[in-house]
Amino acid sequence: MKESSAFLAMHIHRRVARTLLLVGVVMFLGNLTWAADDAITIGIVMPTTGREAKPGLYQKEGIELAIKQINDQGGIMVKEKGKKLPVKTVFYDNGSDSAKAASLVERAMSSDHVTAVIGGYSTALAEAESVMPDRYKIPWLTGGAAATSIYSRGYKYIFGCLSPIALLGSTTAEFLGNLADQGKLKKGLKIALVVENTDHGVDYVAGVQDWIGKHPGYFTVVLNEKFDLGGTDFSGLLQKVKTAKADIFLSDAHLQDYITMQRQYLQAGLHHQVISYGARGPEADARKALGAGTDYILAALWWSDKLPYAQVQKFVADYKQMYNRGPDSWYAATAYDAMRILAKSIEAAGSTDGTKIRDALSKAELKGALIPGGVLKFGANGQAGYPFLVTQNKPEDKVDIVFPKDAATGPPVAPIP
Amino acid sequence: MTATDYLDLLIKSLLLAGIYAAMAVGMTAIYGVMKIVNLAHAGFLMLGAYFAYELFERFHLDPILGAMLALPVFFLFGMAVHWLLVRWLPKSDTPTLASLLLMFGFWLVLQNIGYLVWGNTAYSIFTPRSLASVRFGEISIPKDKLIVFAAAVVSLIVLQIVFARSWFGRSMRSLIQNPYAAAIVGVDDQKTARLSFAVGTAFAGFAGALLAILFPFTPDFGASFQLRAFVIIVLGGLESVSGVALGALILALLETFSINVPLPLYWHGWKFVYLPSSYQPAVSFVLLVVALLVLPKGIAGLLERKWRVA
Repeated sequence: MKESSAFLAMHIHRRVARTLLLVGVVMFLGNLTWAADDAITIGIVMPTTGREAKPGLYQKEGIELAIKQINDQGGIMVKEKGKKLPVKTVFYDNGSDSAKAASLVERAMSSDHVTAVIGGYSTALAEAESVMPDRYKIPWLTGGAAATSIYSRGYKYIFGCLSPIALLGSTTAEFLGNLADQGKLKKGLKIALVVENTDHGVDYVAGVQDWIGKHPGYFTVVLNEKFDLGGTDFSGLLQKVKTAKADIFLSDAHLQDYITMQRQYLQAGLHHQVISYGARGPEADARKALGAGTDYILAALWWSDKLPYAQVQKFVADYKQMYNRGPDSWYAATAYDAMRILAKSIEAAGSTDGTKIRDALSKAELKGALIPGGVLKFGANGQAGYPFLVTQNKPEDKVDIVFPKDAATGPPVAPIP
Repeated sequence: MTATDYLDLLIKSLLLAGIYAAMAVGMTAIYGVMKIVNLAHAGFLMLGAYFAYELFERFHLDPILGAMLALPVFFLFGMAVHWLLVRWLPKSDTPTLASLLLMFGFWLVLQNIGYLVWGNTAYSIFTPRSLASVRFGEISIPKDKLIVFAAAVVSLIVLQIVFARSWFGRSMRSLIQNPYAAAIVGVDDQKTARLSFAVGTAFAGFAGALLAILFPFTPDFGASFQLRAFVIIVLGGLESVSGVALGALILALLETFSINVPLPLYWHGWKFVYLPSSYQPAVSFVLLVVALLVLPKGIAGLLERKWRVA
């Protein structure tokens, strides 16, 4: 008798425990739904480990600064909810791995139900990620990928805040043409093109050659070579550069390759009238690794903290306050603008529906953007198209904007002494 | 290209070969005795790089001295890793899946420790000789590469002498030749394996410190070197220091010259073409396949066979 009542008590306890567990789960899920309804969740997919970790971290910081400022003002007004909603983030580290980057974007859009994703540093990772947004009809923005191939596949839900790499190449060539017009360089100089074997590099070469083709007599390309990302020994390649007897050395490289190649370039005793590594040049890591070895290197950039706009100076001050250091190169600024134009578009859409936000993004115009020209908007293919600026490293860690003239902070030095 | 250019390339290939050999020899020592393909080699290279960096930044110690110091420190580290992890692996005459997985997992752990401690900044060691070169007319030899080459060659010679003359070297060679016979004559296989692993780790740390003088590094530093190290030890024969030196020389020569020497190609008639620079990394893959198919015992094995026949 005693045993059977104990068994009954245990049975009842189990049933109560199960019921309580069920109630708990339902309440938890309900709470989750409620929380999701009361905030806008943005997925951030960036590399904070692996070879792209540093720029990825800067981009993440730029996005988080923008979100902090948006939340400090109460969040984003969403008309269909009738109130301002705060912005929450879910962060995913893709480890600089393309396959992981694509699967994380998919996870953000499918199981984590984010409103939009900001990702896509760098080109290779962005290419992998960009196949997902149209599948889930959720907008995806990038402040770190500019290769034209990403935006030429007809996707409707992808938006890029960087001007095309081809424009980077043609701006560099245009600047060199300008130097030739000023008499600082002679016309007819020979160019050696040495670029990374990615779409980024291919677009860069296309941009340079496009300008040269449209402006005959200025320059000729005598060497056009590609190298693999993450190279360690460039002595064979630099021997080709030496043999080509070019006057101008134009490369397009990621940060670590830029440091390694420039070091070996100097050790090989090479010298050209102009040196550029595409969008690399003024990074603090490179200056630390090479000292005066980075002096006079030109870089065509999407942004510089020297831009004479009030919003740029405010951004730099806010960034310093939040992270106790200034922004290193352009990475954080374009990601910051990506988040701001997304917030503006959510507000314009008045909804957290992916398609409505997409429609708003395609018409959006962010005035007071940090980029050259101060206005960010997307073209028909989803990619922005604003002018580049050219910077030049000067001795004692100084960096000047040298092109365009109206933003210049110092004169260009060419040929390199 | 002129004859001077080719001479310049030859010198640069030799310097590169020295670096490659120093980087690969640690892997050979471990494989030879224990039949473990040390996939954590890249992790040890990375730690060696940070070791030299920390000594340089904190105590202004020249990175070459830092590399020398890495030898005893990483020797002890190797002993600890062996005691903690490797000794539990089952003995085998061929590489086992368990050993591959263990070492690969350990590499990931080391990488993540690297990220925790140093973050993701690309560090470099910049000394007054970083950009300096010795010039002989048209030929320019980077000073730091020259010093790294000398350090690598000296260390390989010392290691070769240790392997040839010492008790440990004899034990090691006997285990490589025939582990069962070695056991019968009283060779302590556990002790020899522990010391071999420690020597392999010490040389990986040493090589990592040397590489830090030449290249920027992050916690995922070493992966591309690891592949090359593997190619070198397969090419040189998996069990000898001289084979490693030979393998390193062949890889360095092919990598450097393949893109600078015109190759004959038949396409609507014979013509000479240059291999594009972007194909340079494929050289090591092709070599690996060729070595595995044609020279399974490496070039050292081939030479040994020829001698025997003669």
